Amino acid sequence: MHPTRSRSESTGRRAGVDWLSVSFLLGALLCCYYLLPVVALVVAQPPGVVLARLGDPTVVSAAATSLVAALASATLAAVFGLPLAYWLARAEGRARTLVTALVVLPLVLPPIVSGMVLLTVVGPTTLLGSLAAANGVPLTRSLAGVVLAQTFVASPFVVVTATAAFEGVDPRLEAASRSLGKRRLTTVRRVTLPLAWPGVLAGVTLAFARSMGEFGATVMLAYYPRTMPVQIWVSFTTLGLDAAFPVAVVLVGVAVVTLVVLDRLGTTPWGR
Amino acid sequence: MGSLSVLELAGLAKRYAGFEFGPVDLAVGEEVLCVLGPSGSGKTTLLSLVAGLVTADAGSVSLDGRSLDGLPPERRNAGVVFQDGALFPHLTARENVAYAATDEGRVADLAALLELDDVLDRRPATLSGGERQRVALARTLAADPDVLLLDEPLSSLDAPIRRRLREDLHDLFAALAVPVVYVTHDQRTATALGDRLAVLREGRLEQVDTPRSVLERPATRFVAEFTGCENVYEVPVVGSGEGVVRVRLGDATLRVRSATAKPTSGATVTACVHPSRVRLDGAVGALDGPSAPDQSFPGTVRRWLDEGDQYRVVVALDAGVDLAATVSPATADRLASLDGAAVSVAIPPDAVHVLS
Repeated sequence: MHPTRSRSESTGRRAGVDWLSVSFLLGALLCCYYLLPVVALVVAQPPGVVLARLGDPTVVSAAATSLVAALASATLAAVFGLPLAYWLARAEGRARTLVTALVVLPLVLPPIVSGMVLLTVVGPTTLLGSLAAANGVPLTRSLAGVVLAQTFVASPFVVVTATAAFEGVDPRLEAASRSLGKRRLTTVRRVTLPLAWPGVLAGVTLAFARSMGEFGATVMLAYYPRTMPVQIWVSFTTLGLDAAFPVAVVLVGVAVVTLVVLDRLGTTPWGR
Repeated sequence: MGSLSVLELAGLAKRYAGFEFGPVDLAVGEEVLCVLGPSGSGKTTLLSLVAGLVTADAGSVSLDGRSLDGLPPERRNAGVVFQDGALFPHLTARENVAYAATDEGRVADLAALLELDDVLDRRPATLSGGERQRVALARTLAADPDVLLLDEPLSSLDAPIRRRLREDLHDLFAALAVPVVYVTHDQRTATALGDRLAVLREGRLEQVDTPRSVLERPATRFVAEFTGCENVYEVPVVGSGEGVVRVRLGDATLRVRSATAKPTSGATVTACVHPSRVRLDGAVGALDGPSAPDQSFPGTVRRWLDEGDQYRVVVALDAGVDLAATVSPATADRLASLDGAAVSVAIPPDAVHVLS
């Protein structure tokens, strides 16, 4: 009746090994490897030192830059990423496959390479970059540069996560809404988006978290104004590891809050 | 047609990979048209084309003379009731019904009509299948559709709830002054609800007629078999005259009353007899109603099945062919003791239908 199960059972008995325990043990080792450094970092930093360092104007400035830029990037990612995600969820065929590959590209590119390719488009010597700079909006070494770098790297999180969320909404619900006289936009607003909301919010949260931690592309486009990761790197290279720790603790805090938010979004309120 | 609303399909066609729908021509007045067909015959495609959820490759759809071609679903005013309701899970039953309602009074009226008052504040996930379909129906009716399209709304319900809702639907449809297209694979639902039946097979209409006509005078062998007329025989014509045709059934001769078909002697025709139209008489006397066999054939009960409300008996006629008959449980009580025994099968000439 259950050939797979009985086979694995008999194999387990013959070898005398409980494979479930073994896999748990291996997994537990990996979990320790995740957890230990984070705990060590937080424990190693006396709260007094962290708090004192947090009052440092360079740290405050970096935190402000990171927060403003990440909020802007997450918003941009949502504004442009959600429509694309909806299109991907409803489209079929070759175009969909190609666009999906394109969306995933920034995820698989090393961030520093992302920064390089962005520089070839918005760098100060490029047509776009010089034109923007001439009009008072420099695209590098500026907050705009930080946002451009973060959006490039983080927006795929919105598209990929929201696409899955939109795909989870039964197309017949949209058909029902439209046959009830509601236009497509109304349908998306009143049916699709509320149903996909947890996934959409998860995607935007991920994009925000990724933006907060973005370093590679950002450092290529905008060494100034410094974001927190860039500040960590500068502190590390000039003053050593200890000087970089307090800001790192702040970023760990951001990551933990992100996890809590994502966990909350995992449950849908209407029980389906 | 005057002021009566009419849904008209003309040459409607849609091609998918591996499936071709249509071309279909159909006119539905203020009546219930049940589209009957096996799964994959294109029933849902038909509804989707009318509702505008799928774009037709060819042909046209019009409602009261107004062309619906090219219109998006939201501008067709075609109400659709989906198989499992397709209720919005994040809204309560009340919010679902009110979704497209013009005023709050309409919601209250429909809730009363469909007996939903107790469930209005609940979410779809907590409703039973029957309740869900009632809410779905109310939601669709709240939009005052010009045509009502139903896609197997009863198929996922338990038998008692299905019967109950079928009766309610019957009354509801009678009060509606719009064309109703009801898609189902269940012949009982189709005959119970439909003013007319349209039998669909592989994307094409095989027959459109009243339920009685479809059951008793199926146009094709497929319609005959799909509607339960399993006694279908390819028989040679041996003679004809005065509205009666004689055909050879195995070793015997069967007289068939035939008003329309006038087959020539020697031709082969397809004849069918609905199991409910034959009468069984036992050796001990009349078993099922008064014995008036103007033509009877001896045979042996080969097997029988208790289907609950009726018995299905297969008789091996001495003429060399098998014939199925349905009989009432009362008759079957006496037949059961005759398992494998000799019976006489009466086939009235007007019970035999010759396919054209």
